[in-house]
Amino acid sequence: MEQVVATLFNVLILSSMYILVALGFAFLFNMLGILNLAHGAVYMVGGYIGFALITSVGINPWVSILIAALIMAAFGVFLERFCFRPFTGDFNRIVMVGVGINVVLQTAVNAMLGTKMQALPSLVDGYLRFGVVSVSYQRISIFVIGAVLLVLVSWFVRKTKRGQQMQAISQDIEGAALSGISVHRVSALACALGSGLAALAGCLMGSYLMLSPYMGDLMLIKALVLVILAGIGSIGGIFVTGLILGGLDAVAPVLFSGAVSDAIPYVVVVIVLLIRPRGFFGREG
Amino acid sequence: MLLQIEGLTKRFGGLTAVDGFTAHVDEGEIVGLIGPNGAGKSTLFNLITGVFPPTKGKIVFDGRDITRKKPHTVAELGIGRTFQLNLLFADFTVLQNVSASSQVNPHSSLFDMYFNTRRYRRNEARIAERSLEILQLLGLENYKDELAKNLPHGFQKMLGVARALATSPKLLLLDEPLGGMNPSEIDFSLEAIAKARDSGVTVLIVEHNMQILSLCDRVVVISFGQKICEGLPQEVRENEEVISAYFGGEHGSA
Amino acid sequence: MTDSKNGAAGKLAGWFSSRNSGLSRCVIPVAAVVLLVVIPLVVESLYNLHILIMVFFYVIAALSLRAIVISGQFPLGHAAYMGIGAYAGGMASKWLGLPPGLSIVGAAVFTMIIGILVAYSFARLRALYYAMGSLFLGVAIVQILNAGGTWTGGYSGLSGIPPMFDNSKVTWYYVALGLLILSALALYRFESSRIGTNLKAISQSHLVAESVGIDEAKYRILAVAVGSFFVGLAGAGYAHYVGTIATSNYNFMATMWLFMYVLVGGINNFYGPIVGTFILILIPEYFRSLKTYSPFISAGILFLFVYLMPNGFAGLFELAVARIKGWRAGRTGNAAAD
Repeated sequence: MEQVVATLFNVLILSSMYILVALGFAFLFNMLGILNLAHGAVYMVGGYIGFALITSVGINPWVSILIAALIMAAFGVFLERFCFRPFTGDFNRIVMVGVGINVVLQTAVNAMLGTKMQALPSLVDGYLRFGVVSVSYQRISIFVIGAVLLVLVSWFVRKTKRGQQMQAISQDIEGAALSGISVHRVSALACALGSGLAALAGCLMGSYLMLSPYMGDLMLIKALVLVILAGIGSIGGIFVTGLILGGLDAVAPVLFSGAVSDAIPYVVVVIVLLIRPRGFFGREG
Repeated sequence: MLLQIEGLTKRFGGLTAVDGFTAHVDEGEIVGLIGPNGAGKSTLFNLITGVFPPTKGKIVFDGRDITRKKPHTVAELGIGRTFQLNLLFADFTVLQNVSASSQVNPHSSLFDMYFNTRRYRRNEARIAERSLEILQLLGLENYKDELAKNLPHGFQKMLGVARALATSPKLLLLDEPLGGMNPSEIDFSLEAIAKARDSGVTVLIVEHNMQILSLCDRVVVISFGQKICEGLPQEVRENEEVISAYFGGEHGSA
Repeated sequence: MTDSKNGAAGKLAGWFSSRNSGLSRCVIPVAAVVLLVVIPLVVESLYNLHILIMVFFYVIAALSLRAIVISGQFPLGHAAYMGIGAYAGGMASKWLGLPPGLSIVGAAVFTMIIGILVAYSFARLRALYYAMGSLFLGVAIVQILNAGGTWTGGYSGLSGIPPMFDNSKVTWYYVALGLLILSALALYRFESSRIGTNLKAISQSHLVAESVGIDEAKYRILAVAVGSFFVGLAGAGYAHYVGTIATSNYNFMATMWLFMYVLVGGINNFYGPIVGTFILILIPEYFRSLKTYSPFISAGILFLFVYLMPNGFAGLFELAVARIKGWRAGRTGNAAAD
């Protein structure tokens, strides 16, 4: 029973983390057709900044991760302005810059902190007990934070003016520009938002599991796969697909041992793709 | 009959683009296919050349059923076409556009191409010669090394025709060849099309611009996917339905 | 046609140049090959030879990527195919005891077959779907290799691949160089023949290409088949050279680096992948004393290209050649430059 509860939380937490990172990636991809290969590094660095702030500077964990998110959000603005905007339309160049930044950030972290895996300390100590089952507050709080963030982002994209502008740009960039939307401003905002979310996810995952300089690459792939599976252009699809992928990743290790369990979600994905190339929710013809 | 279309229908979801269209083209003719915008003319071309299959109906070319054949097969069988949006090989030069389009005749197999066989070299030499001839026919020989995307619009259109001729077609489908041309370019194009016909190519032209009627042996009028009239240019020009179809929507310059 | 005039040399040149500029096109490549052949006689450091051997194998991989890219398709799992070649070859030699030469060629063929199967499924869909499918497949392949237990060595990789010949660096240098020259010749012919032209035609407009009789599906599959064969060859060769392989060399980032090799070298030029691979591997190696910081050099090269160079390094070279020709023509009073 204990394991079922643990697995359940695993599903929820992994899913929400995947979705948080994938959303940031999807914003740029849907709006501007930008494949931001630096996004994984942003996630990773965000986690390390949080770690550094907590352990080296001694700031309260909650405040630390918030600061980390803000720092990476600012970095996101920098990325959009100096790495992506100058090359609008030149897909190859943007991909190259992304790779370059990825390398720079990974190398920097490697050089400063080494490849030893570290973990963020728990945000909350203690366990919740009901009946025979106990769940750490850590787990609960991570899940709650993740869920709250998702709700906030969801609300932002659908109900606020900027969020709706983001949607408009995703659907028809020229039309949006002609109707007075400042594509540059909204893009910068989207990149900042996406980076901030990724940084938060980095901290949370770093606390839940571990930090490593290579976690960015792994997460980037997950985000890319997620966005494609959800169907290019569909934000809502990311939520559902993220849940499925998180579910697979959480449940498979329980049922199968070792590396096989890592392989299973991807084999499933490949099969799905061969049957239905458009992904689950794509609106592309 | 070189080309025979029977009861051709194409539905896209709820929209019927072509409805029970029946027509034919005889060898050596120049047939005009006219009609207002959105009447289904380009769809018809796409159906004939196999870009997508029809919902119903049959297309017979040179005695063969080509209804569901793929575009490259249709090209091999002898139908060449231009595109309304004048698609070209933008990064190739003018000459390359024409020589790259010469796949059908003379034909080299993959083996020939890779291993540079004697047949391949012979074919390539003939293609090089003939490409230059086609460019001369259409007045493009001075631009042969220009990149296609750098050509002025009228010349790009001519290049489209050159490209189609490079496939040694028996039937040439021209999709709005006069679009966006100035009067001297139009005259030149009409002459070139006539010359092509004289050299043995049958031509089916979709056109908006009524000047095409002077060149056609026969005209078919299409509106809302249906054939509404067919006959000599003069008859069609005076037909009531045709006039209303055009004035109801748009009308080309007469 | 020039080949009939110049006999064997002319025939060779004619085989290569589709535009009949004959021997002049061969000068630089031949000079480069001569230089490379001479290097082991002059260079003593085994480590430097090792780096060059690595470069040779990766150049083959980069060229194979280009063969697919010119058709307008983007195999986002290309490094994983290199992995298929590496593991198939390595496992065949290690577990089946096949002679290494056979393993390597067999692995290349095996990789080609997989490439054909995948390409066939996607041949009639838009190139976008092929890109996405390749991405997923690439990731799946890496995971499957990781899950292979003892057979593939799992996460720690496959080791103990039996060595070839005397396993000396100098022997391997010439073997790798030989493979590179053969592959480059084969791929150059592929691209410069009408096959290559047809692929480039498809890449520009698949509608027009079909309308002139080019079977898009057939050519797309062909491009992937050829690209897969050579990347499998590179992977298997490299696996036998180093003796130990791990999946971390064949993941998505590895594919991205293959693309970087092609892009940095210049995407419009056959020699681009060659130049790009040399630059992106050799220059950081020169700075290897920076140790952990040496990847900054690689990133720096990327940034240099992105922010300052529109046509890649091969494009820069062409510019220089054109300038020299123009200068020469001016000197001799010849008004018409080449």
